[in-house]
Amino acid sequence: MKNWKKLLSLGLAVALSVGVLTGCGSKEETAADASATEATDAADSTADAAKGNEVYRTLDEIKESGTINIGVFSDKNPFGYVDENGEYQGYDVYFANRIGEDLGVKVNFVSTEAANRIEYLQTGKVDIILANFTVTDERKEEVDFALPYMNVALGVVSRNDNVIESLDNWNPDDSIIVISGTTAETYLIANYPDIPLQKFDSYATAKEAFENGTSVAWANDNTEVIAFSLQNDGYTVGIPSLGSADTIAPAVTQGNTTLLDWINDEIKSLGEENFFHADYEATLTDTYGSEYEDSLVVEGGVTDAE
Amino acid sequence: MPDLGIDVLFKGTNMLRLLGGLWVAARISLISIVISMPLGILVGALMTMKNKIVRAICRIYLEIIRIMPQLVLLFIVYFGTTRAMGWNLSGEVASVIVFTLWGTAEMADLVRGALISIPKHQYESAEALGLTKVQTYIYIIIPQTVRRLIPLSINLITRMIKTTSLVLMIGVVEMLKVAQQIIEANRMTSPNAAFGVFLVVFLLYFLVCWPISMLAKYLEKKWR
Amino acid sequence: MNWEFIGKYLPLYERAAVLTVKIGLIGIAFAILVGLLCAAIQYYKVPVARQIVAVYVEISRNTPLLVQLFFIYYGFPKIGIRLTPEVCGVIGLAFLGGSYMAEAFRSGLESIEPIQKESAISLGMNHRQTFQYVILPQAISVSVPAFVANVIFLLKETSVFSAISLMDLMFTAKDLIGLYYKTTESLFLLVVFYLIILLPVSILGTLLERRVRYAGFGD
Repeated sequence: MKNWKKLLSLGLAVALSVGVLTGCGSKEETAADASATEATDAADSTADAAKGNEVYRTLDEIKESGTINIGVFSDKNPFGYVDENGEYQGYDVYFANRIGEDLGVKVNFVSTEAANRIEYLQTGKVDIILANFTVTDERKEEVDFALPYMNVALGVVSRNDNVIESLDNWNPDDSIIVISGTTAETYLIANYPDIPLQKFDSYATAKEAFENGTSVAWANDNTEVIAFSLQNDGYTVGIPSLGSADTIAPAVTQGNTTLLDWINDEIKSLGEENFFHADYEATLTDTYGSEYEDSLVVEGGVTDAE
Repeated sequence: MPDLGIDVLFKGTNMLRLLGGLWVAARISLISIVISMPLGILVGALMTMKNKIVRAICRIYLEIIRIMPQLVLLFIVYFGTTRAMGWNLSGEVASVIVFTLWGTAEMADLVRGALISIPKHQYESAEALGLTKVQTYIYIIIPQTVRRLIPLSINLITRMIKTTSLVLMIGVVEMLKVAQQIIEANRMTSPNAAFGVFLVVFLLYFLVCWPISMLAKYLEKKWR
Repeated sequence: MNWEFIGKYLPLYERAAVLTVKIGLIGIAFAILVGLLCAAIQYYKVPVARQIVAVYVEISRNTPLLVQLFFIYYGFPKIGIRLTPEVCGVIGLAFLGGSYMAEAFRSGLESIEPIQKESAISLGMNHRQTFQYVILPQAISVSVPAFVANVIFLLKETSVFSAISLMDLMFTAKDLIGLYYKTTESLFLLVVFYLIILLPVSILGTLLERRVRYAGFGD
């Protein structure tokens, strides 16, 4: 039933979108629109589009177009955010800019939310996700991860007057803030199904609500909650490490091997110049000092042997 | 007077970016309006035709589009089309498609309403006076329809501009998202920015929509 | 389409649908109250209150609900007003819907020509009787189409509640997409549940409208 409805609205949409694509192609959107049209053409040729997996662009196609679309956070300070001059900044962004530089293409940053990251890759809306994307087995089935560039675990931050140091014996009247589509959400649902979760769809809204006292704690990547407690007065990370020790890596659409291989080679060669340490010093020392540099940075894609 | 964080907007290019975000929303609604007005008039006219099949098709289209929340339509077009059809639409294009489909449906309904609101005896009187069908439309029906229609369609424009605030949810960086980014980038220095910045967003929406509503009201009174 | 997934997460949607309807109905009830109050103030031309109502109607009608909610939920705590998402949703819906309901009731009241009131009085009815037996029944039937349209409009508007972390239908769909990457199934359930909620209201509205149209007077 849903299909014919979709067909109906799409039939009408076809007629319109031609006009729309030309009408909308002003300024910075031109590149994105052009790529959208290309991808549409490519996908149309595979008439049976039920899979919809051929939406990605290969390395050559990206180079040819002169622009790479990279999905980053725009509200996750200090990893991906927008400064007061409208420029994307942060640890992920620093790496993204280097990728653009070494590929010889312009970087078009696409603002993403946690829950959209897989979707954006699977629908070809971005070429790479560089949005603090934790590598998990479930996600590996949906997208292809490159070599890691950062260590991460989960952490829980709470107010100084009510520091949460354990999730056991939880008071059912209290809730924890999580961001929809993050590993923290998955972990808490699986391991603490009785803790009420207050879910938000963006970092900006989650932090705002946490500051406003909506919940007693906020669970997220420990990197992010530590940053939050360092940047804002009155907060303590009572649980600095929860769940398994994971890594963060760039991700591409499943099957996009040319791009994946290039990124892996890039990460390896960047290791020789200690790029990610430089990245840390440029983007994270303001928040963390140098205390976390060695534990956080993964250089050359090599994690410490356990 | 507590610090309400409005000063954040005067840092760097923040205010300009906020206005830029407003323009993104306004551009989506303008393009959609320009496309959906003529299409809506066409569909509306089709709906007053005697052909039952044409009327039924228009009716189904109208009901489906109007019963679904616009946010649901946005999600279906933005995420669903890529899955089902292999299309890849940017958030802005998806928004324009949804707002055009929706605007066309709303406009069609207004046109249909305006057309059937002209009493039958007007057609008959015109015929009795010896006017041809074309003359009847040009001199009698269309002027009256247009007068009823224009205030209503101007209202539709404000509704559309207001509804474009939803495109935030499919990742288009419009005014609300820019507001969030500004608040986020200044969390340390200006913890109360959420009040000031969202207040300004609220006022900016009002400043854009209010004059348009006033115009509609004025025309409605003038042409009653 | 993965039916196992649909079966597994159906209860989540059911819970979300109940929340959507609950907050929607409470919000609409308050919107009706606000609307009646405003319409009465405008109809009886109460001084001062009338100007306040006029300003409120303009502000409420010319700003998006999403922005209103953001301001109430994320902005207000900065000046010491903390509200739960549920309360914010109800307030937002009442604030937005109040002006739409007021317009519906007001146009109903104003559609009754003065001559009817005068005739009723000259027939020996007092003011209360005139209002109760002559004005109100007609005003209600004139208001019905706009009223029903407003109810549907407000129920649809509840979809933006997801932005203030209410686990409504929209948020449930978004959350499942983020958690399990089943876009098609999540969106399918979303559409089905909105149809279950909105279709009956819409059909009821059409029937009501047809019924009251016969009650119309004049042309």
